[in-house]
Amino acid sequence: MVLSGVTKRFGDVTAVDGMNLEIRDGEFFSLLGPSGCGKTTTLRMIAGFEYPTEGSVRIQGREMGLEPPNRRPVNTVFQSYALFPHMTVAENVGFGLKMRGVGRSEIAERVARALDQVQLAHRSDARPSQLSGGQQQRVALARALVNEPAVLLLDEPLGALDLKLRQAMQVELKELQERVGITFVYVTHDQEEALTMSDRIGVMNEGRLLQVGEPEAIYERPTSRFVADFIGHINLVTAECAGSGMVRIGDGAEVAVPGVQGAGGKVTIALRPERLHLTAPDADIPAGANRLRGVVRRRVYHGDGFTYEVAVAGTVLEVRTENTPGLVRYEAGSDICVYWDPSAANLVED
Amino acid sequence: MTGRWISRLLGLHSWAVYVFFYAPIAVLVFLSFNDNRLVTVWTGASLRWYREMLENDQVLSAIRNSLIVAGVSTIVSVVLGTAAALGLERFRWRGRRIFDGLLYLPIIIPDVTMAVMMLLFFVQVFGLVELAFGPKIGLGLATISLSHVAFNISFVAVVVRARLAGLDPALEEAAADLYADRRQAFLHVTLPLIMPGVLGGALLALTLSLDDVVITSFVSGPGSTTLPVYVFGLVKRGVTPLINAVSTVMLVASMLLVFVSLIFQRGDGKVPQGTRQ
Amino acid sequence: MAAPVTPELEAAAERAQARRGLLVSLPAYAYLVVFFAIPLVIVFVVSVFGRRNPRGATVYGPPTLDAYRKIFEPGPDGSYLVLEIVWRSLWLSVVTTIVCLLLAYPLAYYIATRTPRVRNALLVLVMIPFWSNFLVRTYAWRVLLGRSGPVTAVTSALGLTDTPMIFTVNAVLIGLVYGFLPFMVLPLYAAIERMDWSLVEAARDLYASGWQAFRKITWPLSRPGVIAGSILVFIPAFGAYVTPEILGGSKTTLLGSYIVRQFLQARDAPFGSALSFVLMSVMLGATIVYFRTGARNL
Ligand SMILES: Nc1ncnc2c1ncn2[C@@H]1O[C@H](COP(=O)(O)OP(=O)(O)OP(=O)(O)O)[C@@H](O)[C@H]1O
Ligand SMILES: [Mg+2]
Repeated sequence: MVLSGVTKRFGDVTAVDGMNLEIRDGEFFSLLGPSGCGKTTTLRMIAGFEYPTEGSVRIQGREMGLEPPNRRPVNTVFQSYALFPHMTVAENVGFGLKMRGVGRSEIAERVARALDQVQLAHRSDARPSQLSGGQQQRVALARALVNEPAVLLLDEPLGALDLKLRQAMQVELKELQERVGITFVYVTHDQEEALTMSDRIGVMNEGRLLQVGEPEAIYERPTSRFVADFIGHINLVTAECAGSGMVRIGDGAEVAVPGVQGAGGKVTIALRPERLHLTAPDADIPAGANRLRGVVRRRVYHGDGFTYEVAVAGTVLEVRTENTPGLVRYEAGSDICVYWDPSAANLVED
Repeated sequence: MTGRWISRLLGLHSWAVYVFFYAPIAVLVFLSFNDNRLVTVWTGASLRWYREMLENDQVLSAIRNSLIVAGVSTIVSVVLGTAAALGLERFRWRGRRIFDGLLYLPIIIPDVTMAVMMLLFFVQVFGLVELAFGPKIGLGLATISLSHVAFNISFVAVVVRARLAGLDPALEEAAADLYADRRQAFLHVTLPLIMPGVLGGALLALTLSLDDVVITSFVSGPGSTTLPVYVFGLVKRGVTPLINAVSTVMLVASMLLVFVSLIFQRGDGKVPQGTRQ
Repeated sequence: MAAPVTPELEAAAERAQARRGLLVSLPAYAYLVVFFAIPLVIVFVVSVFGRRNPRGATVYGPPTLDAYRKIFEPGPDGSYLVLEIVWRSLWLSVVTTIVCLLLAYPLAYYIATRTPRVRNALLVLVMIPFWSNFLVRTYAWRVLLGRSGPVTAVTSALGLTDTPMIFTVNAVLIGLVYGFLPFMVLPLYAAIERMDWSLVEAARDLYASGWQAFRKITWPLSRPGVIAGSILVFIPAFGAYVTPEILGGSKTTLLGSYIVRQFLQARDAPFGSALSFVLMSVMLGATIVYFRTGARNL
């Protein structure tokens, strides 16, 4: 599936801005971004509920143009589920097949199989209103999957569920996707969900697609300040290039950052808190590591670890340590040394 | 302490209002079983006036006319009104605002003005037809039905529109997403879900049509008198036990309609979970 | 990757949508233009271009406001008959509205504060008269208030009066209140029922007396219902025809009956049309007030 130069404007609002995106067959692709960034609008243009102001949508090599939703090889799982309240679970799931003129016995068979897949075979005669939120969600899923679409679109399908159920469904969804091998385009604003489930992620902000890549690449090597900041915790430090792979930060301390060129330019470097390490001021550190001396400002306990705020070189860095046996704790006010491997730092665009 | 008194008074007042609502109807129904020719002189219970009603050709023909007009105008206005509600609620088009305004007018216009409008209109049309084609046509069941449709469309559209507005648009999108074309989406999803609204609109249209006196009396011709117009004519001349009997039948008919609608609404009246956002 | 730019796509979709919308609405639209808009124009044309000839037929000539002027002119006997009728219609419908409000507000409040099951039953009891035949309900009062009717029997037994109330202004007032009371109860109930009762509790908590809490919280919050109900009663009461015809007498003619008389008896279509137009304008004015105050959202 290919989106090329897709732009959607509602009056003065540009909901999606010049999006180019290729989604591979059989992959679990997540669109991730804050509220109002245009994720739903993108999905609606793929499904055919909305037509692009500019650009084109191709699915399976076929130009979609003005094709209405019922003639596109995609199905949608709506955020509100949109189950038909006047039909039973089985009738809901069989609706798409019935509309396509599939024979009655085949419908019954395929519906039964689809309901089996989502463990709801025993509720096939219930009405949607008699089901719990999680069950409704699974009916919506079965209703879409039973049609064996080329692409399945899911708009924050787990948004309405509580945390426990949500986590269970994340696992279930991912397994299901691997089993059926259908391309999933999954919209979410929950970065953890995107990271754990996706083959690839596209991060959006204000209608623009900022970065596309595998979860690890997105997390480890964000290319922009927005992506770095949106996903997980991160230290963003403004620095000045000091030539030969070095940058100068805050009060003038110099640290090595791979990939820095020239001198005098301003750059932003991104450092994950868990990639920073703490040690006593004069302790030995691995060769080639960057080191800065500082003072512990605050320590926060998380159960599985601690977060320190450390004042170094005129800025404040967040450092994350894991709660391992024999961990040394540092009290607020103690002098300390922060060090990290230069490869842990990442240059990002503003 | 005072709070208790106030709530006592409230209760008392409310029951008094209910007595006010029902006592006149009850008296009327009671007196319809009076045997005496004088309405208010009770001589004994009998079904005499109901028998006379059933033997009165004018009453029977008025009932027949009323049913024809109400049936035709309800069916036509339910179809047109539902379509209008869909056109206004589900599509954006130029001229939509004007249509919206035009659709509200028949609801707020006084009966008397509408009666005048329809009379002058039909007189003009008949004049033109006579001038152009020769045949002389007159007022009758057709003009009554046409006039009733003119106000009923609006009432049906308003009721159906309210129902449509409460319907999650995602349901219709889901139908389209599941390979239903426009016709199938309407038949299988939209129509069943707005059915309570359509039935409510139909009931309203039926009631308004069976209630109307002014407009009908302006556009009816000889032999096309409806029941309310006929009764109205009788009432203006005085009170008779026959009117009591006919009135009771009309009351029972409207109550039957209400109960049928209540039964219908019980099944699907509440907005199901899936249709709420 | 060259992005094929297709700016006409969205526009084409919108055009298709507009076409479909118009097509779906067209039957009703066309019907209302032919059988409503054109008749309305005809009434206006008759009121401005028409004049009554001595035989009662309408003939047409250059535009004139004579028909409208006639409203403000004294009749042959020197009395301002039309203005009197308009004035009577106006105050009768205002009094009807006020009486309905006084009767309906406590009732609506009472219904809204019952338990859901009782509430539904009480509501159905209001709905039944609402749906019952208007003519029949009015006729019932003709029986009650008539010469040997039960009400007259009671008043004379109590030594109050022997004259029956029928054919008086009071009879018309009772009929109007009886006829339109349900139109007041239902919107009032809707407004009070959806009110946030915790606000009243908060007011009581802040040392407001029951009366103060009502004045400062309940009444303002139920105002949309009051406005909606008042308009729903005032409009049909002002144009009433059936009620004054059945319960009123020669001295209680209201505007609705007077207009009808212009057509069925006086055969003065231009004057009747002008009066209809005035009547409609008052209604439109009242309705605009209704929409302005947002009472429509009930
Ligand atoms: N039909 C519409 N008319 C006008 N503006 C719209 C319409 N649909 C979306 N928008 C606007 O487009 C922007 C993107 O909306 P969209 O629903 O795609 O965001 P989203 O990323 O799905 O957000 P969320 O996470 O809150 O669902 C928003 O500013 C929204 O207000
Ligand atoms: Mg969204």
